[in-house]
Amino acid sequence: MLAAIFIFAAYAKMKPQPGMPWTMASVRTSLAMFAMGVDSYQMLPPSVVAPFAHWLPPLELILGLWLLSGIGLRLSSIFSTLAIMAFIAAMFSAYRRGLTISCGCFGPGEQIGPKTLIRDTLLFLPLSLAVTIGSFRMRRDQTECAQSEPAAEPQPAK
Amino acid sequence: MNKYSQWAAGGCNRLEGKPYALRAAQSMASAALLIFSLGIGGVARGQQKQVKATKATETLPPLEKAYGSKGAPITFEVFSDYSCPMCRNLFQQTLRPMISDYVASGKVYLVHRDYPLYGIPGHQYSPQAARWANAAARVGQFPAVEAALYDNQTSWTQDGSVEKYISAAMPSADFKRVQRIVEGCEPPGPTGKPDGINMPPHPCSVDPYIEQDILLGNQVPVKGTPTYVITYKGQRLPPGSGFVSWPLLKQFLDSLLAQ
Repeated sequence: MLAAIFIFAAYAKMKPQPGMPWTMASVRTSLAMFAMGVDSYQMLPPSVVAPFAHWLPPLELILGLWLLSGIGLRLSSIFSTLAIMAFIAAMFSAYRRGLTISCGCFGPGEQIGPKTLIRDTLLFLPLSLAVTIGSFRMRRDQTECAQSEPAAEPQPAK
Repeated sequence: MNKYSQWAAGGCNRLEGKPYALRAAQSMASAALLIFSLGIGGVARGQQKQVKATKATETLPPLEKAYGSKGAPITFEVFSDYSCPMCRNLFQQTLRPMISDYVASGKVYLVHRDYPLYGIPGHQYSPQAARWANAAARVGQFPAVEAALYDNQTSWTQDGSVEKYISAAMPSADFKRVQRIVEGCEPPGPTGKPDGINMPPHPCSVDPYIEQDILLGNQVPVKGTPTYVITYKGQRLPPGSGFVSWPLLKQFLDSLLAQ
């Protein structure tokens, strides 16, 4: 579920705008549009916004696929939790400053407001924390199992 | 004991049981279901609201509150409130360079739409400012008045001295014509709100233009100002809102033009 959120978020930011075909030029246009959304938060200087906005969606996609693979789940879940916490902090900051801007969470058009804040804080963050805690518990249990398993009995000589 | 009871009991075989391929397939099915439901939510969000116009807006002659050529490949419509500080920043730091560069070279057609906000402290003179700007547009002085309103925003929003700055922005003959148009336009003027419009009890001659803009804004929908809508070769893109710096907007416009 957590992986799906990141994969969908990446897709929504990179997919071509209405009426545009699936080409690299269209994806670049969508990323440039996302950069404008990031700029509206007024938290980063314009020189940083452009590279940040162009790299974030591919990184979200990679993170989503990494979570889905289950490989290194502890590390991927920590990254996902930190990312969600950063997004929520940025949204709260914008909301507190009275900015009526697009969230940018799943592409353009969704305003920051109580609905998006509640969704991200009470749904996505606990989900990510649950995955993180669960991955650490799984790893701990695996280790304990490995330590408690009896040694294999020696095979009788023929 | 099945796999889940073993797990609950702290058994060591909790990772065994279902093969990896089946676990991965179940994860992907959940992921697909979530993506599908989020996608449907996105479609529902995209549906626009239709707001009925009053009779006065149905047969309005056009009023030029725009910069550049209508034949430009990109149309940039901005819904703004003259008292809004972010609208001022957008005009001064982003739209001004855009006008002298991309509008002048025929790449962008910039359209101003009035959306005086309702019930916001410090915005009580917005409707009057919008009336003066629309009246100035009737005599071809809209660009000068828009600039004067934003450049002197911190002054007239305190004391309502809109007229002073507008008279300084144009020749006296034009100002007299503008004055005659707004004569009798008593406050309050029309204001916008998310689900409709507040029309004044005694509308004056320029109010239908403001009403028309507000109704267009409610179809976007405008939730705050500035909100901008970009149309490229007839295709309307999702609206954006808030301040955007010129370098980033320029990058976006260039990527559109490169399509």
